[in-house]
Amino acid sequence: MLRYIVRRLLWMIPVLLFISIVTFALSHAVPGGPFDREKKLPPEVVANLEKYYGLDKPLYQQYLNYIGNIVTKFDFGPSMRQRGRTVNEIFADHLPISAQLGVLALLVALVIGIPLGIVAALKQNTFWDYLGMGIAVFGVSVPNIVLGPLLIWIFALALGWFPVAGWGKPSQMVLPSIALGLGSSAIIGRLTRASMLQVIREDYIRTARAKGLTERVIMVRHALKNAFIPVATVLGPMFAALTTGTFVVEQIFAIPGMGKYFITSVTNRDYAVVMGTTLLYAVFLVIANLAVDITYAFLDPRIRYT
Amino acid sequence: MNKKFVLVSLLVVVAMLVSACGGGGEKLAKSINLNLGTEPPTLDPGLATDTTSVQCDELLFLGLTDFDDKTLETIPELATKWEVSPDGLTWTFYMRKDVVWVHYDPATKKVTEKGPVTAYDIEYGVKRTLDPVTASDYAYVDYIIKNGQKFNTGEITDANEVGVKALDAYTIQFTLEKPAGYFAGIAGMWVNRPVPREPIEKFGDKWTEPGNIWTNGPYMLETWEHENKMVMVKNPKFFNAKNVSIETINWAMVVEESTAFAMYENGELDVCGVPSADLDRVRADPVLSKELYTAPYLCTYYYGFNNTKPPFDNKLVRQAFSMTIDRKKLVETVLKGGQKPAKTFACPGIFGSPAEDPNFPEIPFDPAKAKQLLAEAGYPDGKGLPEITLMYNTSEGHKRIAEFIQQGWKEHLGVEVKLANQEWAVYLKTVHGPDTPQIYRLGWCADYPDENNWVLEVFHPTLGSNDIKWNNAEFARLTEEAAAASDPAKRKELYFQAEKILVHDEAAIAPIYYYVRVVCTKPYVERTYAPLGGEHIDKWKVKAH
Repeated sequence: MLRYIVRRLLWMIPVLLFISIVTFALSHAVPGGPFDREKKLPPEVVANLEKYYGLDKPLYQQYLNYIGNIVTKFDFGPSMRQRGRTVNEIFADHLPISAQLGVLALLVALVIGIPLGIVAALKQNTFWDYLGMGIAVFGVSVPNIVLGPLLIWIFALALGWFPVAGWGKPSQMVLPSIALGLGSSAIIGRLTRASMLQVIREDYIRTARAKGLTERVIMVRHALKNAFIPVATVLGPMFAALTTGTFVVEQIFAIPGMGKYFITSVTNRDYAVVMGTTLLYAVFLVIANLAVDITYAFLDPRIRYT
Repeated sequence: MNKKFVLVSLLVVVAMLVSACGGGGEKLAKSINLNLGTEPPTLDPGLATDTTSVQCDELLFLGLTDFDDKTLETIPELATKWEVSPDGLTWTFYMRKDVVWVHYDPATKKVTEKGPVTAYDIEYGVKRTLDPVTASDYAYVDYIIKNGQKFNTGEITDANEVGVKALDAYTIQFTLEKPAGYFAGIAGMWVNRPVPREPIEKFGDKWTEPGNIWTNGPYMLETWEHENKMVMVKNPKFFNAKNVSIETINWAMVVEESTAFAMYENGELDVCGVPSADLDRVRADPVLSKELYTAPYLCTYYYGFNNTKPPFDNKLVRQAFSMTIDRKKLVETVLKGGQKPAKTFACPGIFGSPAEDPNFPEIPFDPAKAKQLLAEAGYPDGKGLPEITLMYNTSEGHKRIAEFIQQGWKEHLGVEVKLANQEWAVYLKTVHGPDTPQIYRLGWCADYPDENNWVLEVFHPTLGSNDIKWNNAEFARLTEEAAAASDPAKRKELYFQAEKILVHDEAAIAPIYYYVRVVCTKPYVERTYAPLGGEHIDKWKVKAH
């Protein structure tokens, strides 16, 4: 198992290199640059700025410098929009906040989604099934951009239970975590239901019943553990997506997370930030998928890695 | 006995009144909660380009001059007076002697005086802005200073050749490349503010962080949590500190307008811009409508014509298109935010702008005349026109405006105009590049309230960005002459003529509307409005609430 993990981690290096080359090439291929302004800057000023950020060098050299700085100094370069701030500082300041929000949202998703899916599966085609799946359809169909303001309106403005926005106090974390987690809970709920429905019709469940095991033991020990495999598969990318920052929810609740950098760095052509955020996401995705693969081995004893 | 009782009662009442009034003054709160709207990209005055950074710098750093919020006239700030040589090339500013640098330690809350703000700090600041190593976006503003451009482009390397010199500790002299009647305003701009050499050299790019920064304005920086919040506290060493009422400014950085407005309604913010989607509701609300204020904002929304691309190489076509835009209806039915239909490029409030001059003609909405002009141009009923594209940067708002105007051209001129949009950075490349679209939208906001910042810097064939690819010798002459002239009346007259050529005679562009800011302010806040941005919060008061 350890060898497998080390091998997977080593594979990350060529994957990240490939991603960095493609991202670097694409971000420079798109028309427009970091110094295009509504008020057009004189070419002399642009030349000074390009020199300051090293953009006056040939592209291949810019790329090599970038990778060199990461390898030797773990330096992801400067932001071209916020003078004096580096990508490392942006990560340090905002990633922990996005990660907190993401983990809380994932908890919300699991706490709502899994019971919802189980109940819907066990009570298939009953009122509970329809209710559960109705909630799931609502969760999937109502986008964050609607759900966020709706939650603010009900729970902050009308009822006054929570503050409108911000981050730091526990009371400020409730609404954004729900807004972010509800959509994912719907996905998890539907997936759990489908998976459970499949598993409870398996032979080994019938065997367990025949052995006279209690329904609770059958469901928790036998059915749920196996039904969780497809759920675990989606949890990997979901974890990466939620913890690296989500633009809409962070924007609506004025949370100083990473989400906005994924969007604004592209619109601003803030090259180092585009590269940094993409690589960050890639690292999270690869590691989360690795974690999922490891989880499989625990969930299903037949799965073994060498 | 009775008299005694009355006398004692009276005394008690008077004593109660006096104590209630706190010695006759009104009770004031000491802090205010505001929204910056976004993270300021920098607090370094030499590097600031955007309204958020400028807002912060306005409170932290003084300039030689400032602009009066009401009249927009250039008024003294760090300078007490200034004089100009007869040839208009040498400007000498005499400075206050009671302004000091302060360092604030957020951990101990200790304020340390760091010596007087002198002319040497200004000389250092200007040269630093122009130094190519600093790579300041707005260095070009100082190209008017002698050798400013040469130093910024590396053509000369000796900073001492730049036309700025401290004659003594409190006298600073600028020598210009050519006369510029508007220079007093430029001298006070953020890029020319005094900056402290010691922390800059010690901390490099990090000199603006709390604990590192030295400031000289009415406020000091206590907290800057990036993307989250900023706290400024009153500078007790500020020369006018006794008149600064608000002691703490809590800045939120809420980007989403609707969230910020919900915070305002929830009492978490004291002042807030009103999102356009909420305007109708706010206007109808008995409480909010009283807190609403529509303030001018020195920006103009316009459509530029590429004057070299057919059919807009023909002024008759440009005139016809411009006078088929129903600006009034656009403002009333599409924008609905209190904007004003534009008749000039430079908006009201800008020195030299004829926007409020009754003698300056409106751009008429006259479809009949437009049709006639189009026929005269050789395109009766729009027949024979090449394909026309109107381009804007991708945004719902710009799209709605473009569709309204497109519909008008179709209805009144019979011309089918194609709409196209591009993502912002791509769009800027297209508009600023050699292949500017036939019609494009842009906005222009004042850096300083003078027509030079508008007509010359934007549309002069060689000195401006001139995206419209327009080369009108008379317009160029007028704007150059107005820039150099020192007599305000003469300058106004020249700008009147230049604007007339730009929007009427040649219709090189079609100005559409003047921006406004729609703001709600809680009734307990007594405030001013700065049309240029950079609110003077040191002049505000918050009543106890």
